[in-house]
Amino acid sequence: MVCIRQATKDDLLDIQECDQFCFPQCDSFPLKYYLSYNLWWPQLFYVAEDNRGRIVGYIQGEFHTKNPNSLSGEKEQTTNTECYGRIANLGVICTHRNCGIATRLMTVVHNVMEHVFAAEFVSLHVHKGNHAAFNLYNETLGYKIYDSIQKYYSDGADAFVMKKQLK
Amino acid sequence: MSSRFGMAGGIPERRVRPIWDAVDSRQFKSALKLSTSLLSKYPNSPYAIALKALILERMGKVEEALSVCLTAKERLYSDKLVFIDDLTLSTLQIVFQRLGHLDFATSCYEYACGKFPNNVDLMMGLFNCYVREYSYVKQQQTAIKMYKTVVEERFLLWAVCSIQLQVSCGNGEEKLLLLAEGLLKKHVVSHSLHEPEALLVYISVLEQQAKYGAALELLSGKMGSLLVIEVDKLYIQGRLLARSCDYVAAAEIFKKVMEICPDDWENFLNFLGCLLEDDSRWCNGMLSDQIHRPRFVDCKLSHLADEVFDTRVSIASDFVETLQTNATSDSLRCPYLAKLEIERRKHLYGTGDTVNLKEALLKYFCRFGHLACFATDVEMFFQVLSPDERTQLLTKFIESCEPPHTAQLKVLGKSITIFKIRELIGTMFRLPVNKLERAVKFMAELYCQNLSLSKDLDPQENMPGEDLLSLASNVLVQLFWRTRLLGYLLEAVMVLEYGLTIRRYSWQYKVLLVHLYSHLSALPLAYEWYKTLEIKNIMLETVSHHILPQMLISPLWVDSSDILKDYLKFMDDHFKESADLTFLAYRHRNYSKAVEFVEFKERLQHSHQYWMARIEAPILQLKQKADNIDEEECVLENMNSGIQLIDYSSEERCKALTFNEDMQSRPWWTPSSDKNYLLGPFEEDSIKTRENLLQQQQTTEREVRARIIIQIRALVPRLIYLSIQSASSSLKETLEANDSIFDDNMSLKMKSLLECYARSLGLAFNDAVKEITSIANGQKSLEVSCSSIIDWMNFAVFVGAWKLSSREPSSPDGDSWRPGSLHIVDNFLKKFIIEKLKAMKPLTEFPGNDLLILVQMVTEPLAWHSLVIQSCIRASYPSGKRKKKSGPTTDLLTSPLFQAIQGSIESLRGTLEELTKFMQDQINASDDEILDKLFAPFQRKGCSEGPGQIIHILEDLASGSSEEEHGDRIARALHSWSSIDCLRKILVGQRKVLTEFELICESKLKLLQTLKLQM
Repeated sequence: MVCIRQATKDDLLDIQECDQFCFPQCDSFPLKYYLSYNLWWPQLFYVAEDNRGRIVGYIQGEFHTKNPNSLSGEKEQTTNTECYGRIANLGVICTHRNCGIATRLMTVVHNVMEHVFAAEFVSLHVHKGNHAAFNLYNETLGYKIYDSIQKYYSDGADAFVMKKQLK
Repeated sequence: MSSRFGMAGGIPERRVRPIWDAVDSRQFKSALKLSTSLLSKYPNSPYAIALKALILERMGKVEEALSVCLTAKERLYSDKLVFIDDLTLSTLQIVFQRLGHLDFATSCYEYACGKFPNNVDLMMGLFNCYVREYSYVKQQQTAIKMYKTVVEERFLLWAVCSIQLQVSCGNGEEKLLLLAEGLLKKHVVSHSLHEPEALLVYISVLEQQAKYGAALELLSGKMGSLLVIEVDKLYIQGRLLARSCDYVAAAEIFKKVMEICPDDWENFLNFLGCLLEDDSRWCNGMLSDQIHRPRFVDCKLSHLADEVFDTRVSIASDFVETLQTNATSDSLRCPYLAKLEIERRKHLYGTGDTVNLKEALLKYFCRFGHLACFATDVEMFFQVLSPDERTQLLTKFIESCEPPHTAQLKVLGKSITIFKIRELIGTMFRLPVNKLERAVKFMAELYCQNLSLSKDLDPQENMPGEDLLSLASNVLVQLFWRTRLLGYLLEAVMVLEYGLTIRRYSWQYKVLLVHLYSHLSALPLAYEWYKTLEIKNIMLETVSHHILPQMLISPLWVDSSDILKDYLKFMDDHFKESADLTFLAYRHRNYSKAVEFVEFKERLQHSHQYWMARIEAPILQLKQKADNIDEEECVLENMNSGIQLIDYSSEERCKALTFNEDMQSRPWWTPSSDKNYLLGPFEEDSIKTRENLLQQQQTTEREVRARIIIQIRALVPRLIYLSIQSASSSLKETLEANDSIFDDNMSLKMKSLLECYARSLGLAFNDAVKEITSIANGQKSLEVSCSSIIDWMNFAVFVGAWKLSSREPSSPDGDSWRPGSLHIVDNFLKKFIIEKLKAMKPLTEFPGNDLLILVQMVTEPLAWHSLVIQSCIRASYPSGKRKKKSGPTTDLLTSPLFQAIQGSIESLRGTLEELTKFMQDQINASDDEILDKLFAPFQRKGCSEGPGQIIHILEDLASGSSEEEHGDRIARALHSWSSIDCLRKILVGQRKVLTEFELICESKLKLLQTLKLQM
């Protein structure tokens, strides 16, 4: 029971705290990073606001026009360029987990990617040990494993590259 | 980069590329060599010269870089130049910007645009310059020129956004929006609009002028199809209808949105508000500068007739029930919470009873009570109930729990929820001590029973039951407040440390510990935990309040300085970069974001904490150098003798302050940095802390106080400077008539600042001075809060210094101030410091005592007074010779002023000696004895009351933990736990603070000894 809406400047103060609650072990992202998302793809930057006006979750998406092979780090080829989206960040604070917020955030961004940006598919990276996130992407949202990257995360953990076809 | 490598300023790319490569790889010396060789071939090329300037600037040769850059600018202006390219200009722009001369960069572009009036690239560069300077009018003019030249939609939108900025952030009048509207209208007629962002800007221009009908027409017209996402479009439509007071139509639209997004709470409130014709959600605008909105949903109900109200509410109820029936997911909470809101409105209107509300709450609990967010969801609805009703309902909640088939996690979740609600609504404060003890024991036992659920959990994941330890710690703090038994407070700390031993990522434990250690005067420990929170970036703005205020008044100067430096660096860097981001927003056609970025920068620039840091950073430096007047003067010189801070004291400017601190994450007992309930006696009625916190009034009061503090503190550096001058002048007057550097004009200026200061203290200048005289003479006592004591003491010192050289006719307090002004200040300071000292008890046994106030008294008023004395003595030597050669003359030695100085030195020495003795007694006390005393409550095995019971439960868990039950990681962590180590750490932390303070006092004593010898 939250309001999912596009992020505005006033959310930036809250989002970083949300980030700290979601990923306490990670370095916080600089303000410039958040502003950049707001600048490049404001249509793909959503927040979940609870009934007290507090930001309890957020999602940042990207949109690219590139060769899909470059997703897993393969050398880019110039043929078959397609439009695709990427989920850069998704976080929900611990007090608001298991309320369907992540699913709603993902769905709203998928919707924009498909209808506004005409993206053909959407991809993301997920920590191999993050079973909750993997299940959300795989079982609830229909993402499939596309590839895996070794030592993708700063803690040395591997990542799955997951993909969902939008068209 | 590729654009840089065309024929820039007539130079072939192959000659320029190696220079850029060297710069990019930070090989500045070789870059300079290459640049010299390039210049030998192209000595008059402004681009080649600009490149050299860029390299010099990167090498840190700022002055040389500026001079070279100005040469490039001159060449640029030369008539011989037939072509000016954007590359040369942008290179110059980069260097000028880094050198802090945006104006030079702008004038280069202005010149170029004047010379080549139809070059859009150059005009874009010029627009960029104006964006950096926040010159909205010039931005607008340039954008219009570009639009007229190439008739592109984006340039028109740049102009429109520049107009909006004039209205929202500049001095532009709202009628300017008419111009924006006119421009858009004309363009739409001939070209229509092609981007959704453009349409949104157009709508916002109309909305700002309350032309909702026109905006709606736009939305429902052809261009409305630019907004592809239906919900977004409906939401705007609903908002416009509501703002135009067409509530029936608006309610229909919001209903449609609810059908698409049934879990959208904000939208439900819009729907209900429109149904009940309540304009409170629309009349104040949608945005608030508060970081968090009030936790209550504001509403107006009285305007509706009973029948109308009943009908509308029943429509809302039916709709909500339909939503509940159609719900496809178990996690959908909004339709159920909506039911509660409808019952709340009925109750507020006077037609509903609380029975329905309680029933709805119970149902909501049965369905969602296990969720961690349950308590905050229902907080607002509990406030409607009377204390008895709340207790009854909680009993029903408890009775409804624990069906045997439910998963353990859900049972645990509901138990935690009940504790959280008790804490939130304040019922814990009404329980007798023994019941509170039982409650906290139950929490600890529950935690232990459920720890096995975390066996296989990643350390970075939240543990089930983690909240129990913070809840237990909060109750222990309350037990301390009520009983004054220190053991409870120490136990509260130990419980959290225990939790962090198991999971070191818990944010909430750390925040609570920061405050508990601060209250225990163990600031180094508070700071250590604060550092592990990894507060960076914008969180410095929202979260620093947990540590900054107490550090600023502590003797831990180096750490305080680091916190301030990090914060100010972040803010200043952002201010430098934000214009670049804004320009990018224009370029990427995210026009509304360009306006938002500027507004966001404005908000941060007016941040209360930023202003405070800007003022406190120099004051901290002044404190650090106060024992050496020459060094102090260097500090003052670097801040333009304190003049640059005076602007912050303007009442008018202070009105624009924004408050971005997130106060909700603070513990219940210190809801803001200037409030600490533990310092006063336990009063059940005054508590309702959580409830009080909810009141907007509390926030407003805090903000009013914060503004006054800013106004006062901004004057301090300048008054220190003037005090030094005044003191020096008074001695010079005695020595050499008419050789005063502190002329009447300066004296008047100082008095005017003192008058402002007195006004901020709440009195007229003469009354404030009389107050000081009466207190110093023992005729009156000053009843002010601890924080104001320092402001009064500083004021007394500054007035004393001013009186030394003031030639004003006698004021009503007679001539008692001059030359005896020093004596009055001595008495005033001594009175307060010794009073505080006498009330001091050993730090280890009496937390929250006034040690930090004493530190502030010594490091501020006493330090400023010693500067006045240093200034007098320095001036007593023949002019031009600061070093002692022959000493003061006999005439001077016998003068009343000189004798007053001697008296002051003795008085300050006496005070500092007493302070030092107090500190030494505490520092030298036996560690073992203190630890035995502190640990005693925790050694009483088998006791069923008093402190120690919780830590026993946790210790038993630790000693009995096994790898099978809790997993390897948790078992290992538990085995490493030691309660006494935790207490030892507190002792070490407190000692560190005492030692630092003692060092400060000793340094001041040394100074006074030297001054005495010089006389």
